[in-house]
Amino acid sequence: MHAISKIIARHADRKGVEVGEIVNVVPDYVMLNDRGAARAADLLRKMGGDKVYRPEQVVVVFDHHYPPIRAQDSVSQKKTREWIKEQGITKFHAGEGIGHVIFPEKGYAFPGALIFGTDSHTVTNSALACVATGMGHSDIASYLALGYNWLKVPEVIRFDLHGAFKPGVYAKDIALRIAQLYGEDAAPYLGVEFAGPLVTSMPMSERLVLCNMVIDFGAKTGYIAPDEITARWVAQRAPDRKWTAETTDSDVDYGRIVDLDVTQIEPLVAVPHDLSTVRSAADLNEVRIDEAIFGTCTGGRIDDFRVAAAIMKGQKLAPHTRMMVNPGSRETYLQAMSEGLIEIMVEAGATIGVPGCGPCSGCHQGMLAPAENAITNASRNFKGRFGSPEANAYVASSATVAASAIAGRIVSPADRSKH
Amino acid sequence: MHIKGRAWTFGRNVNTDLIFPKMWFRPTYEPGEMASHLMVGIDEDFPKKVGRGDIIVGGQNFGCGSSREEAAAAMKEAGVAAVVAPSFGRLFTRNAINVGLPIVASPRIDEEINQGDQIEIDLANGVLRNLRSGYEARLPPMAPESLKLIEDGGIANYTRRVLEQRRRAQG
Repeated sequence: MHAISKIIARHADRKGVEVGEIVNVVPDYVMLNDRGAARAADLLRKMGGDKVYRPEQVVVVFDHHYPPIRAQDSVSQKKTREWIKEQGITKFHAGEGIGHVIFPEKGYAFPGALIFGTDSHTVTNSALACVATGMGHSDIASYLALGYNWLKVPEVIRFDLHGAFKPGVYAKDIALRIAQLYGEDAAPYLGVEFAGPLVTSMPMSERLVLCNMVIDFGAKTGYIAPDEITARWVAQRAPDRKWTAETTDSDVDYGRIVDLDVTQIEPLVAVPHDLSTVRSAADLNEVRIDEAIFGTCTGGRIDDFRVAAAIMKGQKLAPHTRMMVNPGSRETYLQAMSEGLIEIMVEAGATIGVPGCGPCSGCHQGMLAPAENAITNASRNFKGRFGSPEANAYVASSATVAASAIAGRIVSPADRSKH
Repeated sequence: MHIKGRAWTFGRNVNTDLIFPKMWFRPTYEPGEMASHLMVGIDEDFPKKVGRGDIIVGGQNFGCGSSREEAAAAMKEAGVAAVVAPSFGRLFTRNAINVGLPIVASPRIDEEINQGDQIEIDLANGVLRNLRSGYEARLPPMAPESLKLIEDGGIANYTRRVLEQRRRAQG
């Protein structure tokens, strides 16, 4: 059995499960974001449920609409606060950042865990050797009522990553390369495992980027086998956490194994309006950038700030370019301040917003006008995601976004170091 | 489960941002509200054009992206009888099953159906027919648990039933 199957089996109270089988599982934690909590509470009532079955497993995070800019969201958040109190839910984080950034930070994600969330990017957590997947609101409402929900055991595809990065290349560029080679449905309904010597040496921040992106290949969950980096991460953030990691029995437990040498990968950019149309950043120098959007559950961690600030230090944004920065979490914000990274970005001309989803959820400041071009270290360049449906979004690494914000057009971060 | 209806066709990689744009998100919805925004990211007039019993036919990876249940729920509310495509986004699939919307995947089906074709689907026997062209596709059997959820009218009805059973058991 694959480790993913074993994790699902354990949470289904079963010795073993078959790929393709549907089982009822009890997750360790379930994340409800602001919208998810409001909708799920409403649907729970409509399903005739008056009580959350396991309130200790529920974590509520306000990240998409916090602080609210529309009165209807203020009303809904007030209701959610009351509902949380009524239901005895004590794990509540408002304004502390994006659920998928704070889950690993606060130790809600740990090896061997099963996590549900009311958001597609819940898969991000799977970098910590757990199974983490997004669900709809009725889905989560049903779980809240009953204390379990159904899950189909996925087949697993493994990407073996090896080789050495060229300068200016990051995990994000690997994700874009996979989208380019295999499409936005590279892994429909599948578990996606990343392995190989490159992953073993990769810091957690980069692993989180890889696993964050698997939803945009159609996957159910990511997976990276636990190692010392994983153990150290959990020990630092949740020293009291007891966890049981699972191991995969053999290579026959994979539907497919793909070998990917990263050595030839250049800094890449997904061009409008889908993730699988990917070009080399160096070939897009003609693209004017009106706004750089920096942050999100893909690119809002401290290492992203370190990479960006190193590029932006002593520089100014191009006169026609603005930059919207939303730290992924309060912890990231504080760390970036104490390292002087926020100062560098503000001096360059960036606008710092609240820790949260920022313009990527289309709910906060920094929306685009028709015909404007944005470059972002988020995961999606869907039409209309950042404001006007007539705007264009380009998706790239944190380094490429920072370099392009300074240049005012798309540039490769590798080229910048040559200038 | 037997379904017959008129086809509305859409392209590849249609994401849920387009099926239900986030500007129409609400904490709670009035009856008919979700349906009134169905597919407006692609065709603003679609909610007026689509009728009860119609079938939505997408291209590969239909319903990819965000987890928003409104994408499937708006179809259900608009009376869409089934959604058909070569492949679907995972979350869309799950949401469709959970709201009780029949969802049918069949390879290259988008090449076999034109806008306005009359389509017939027999879920129990796993057959899809294009009544205009005579094209017939055998469908892979749906997991019995999923078919049951759809026939039950979705996860809300299932949850209601289990809650009732629990209450009765407690006396």
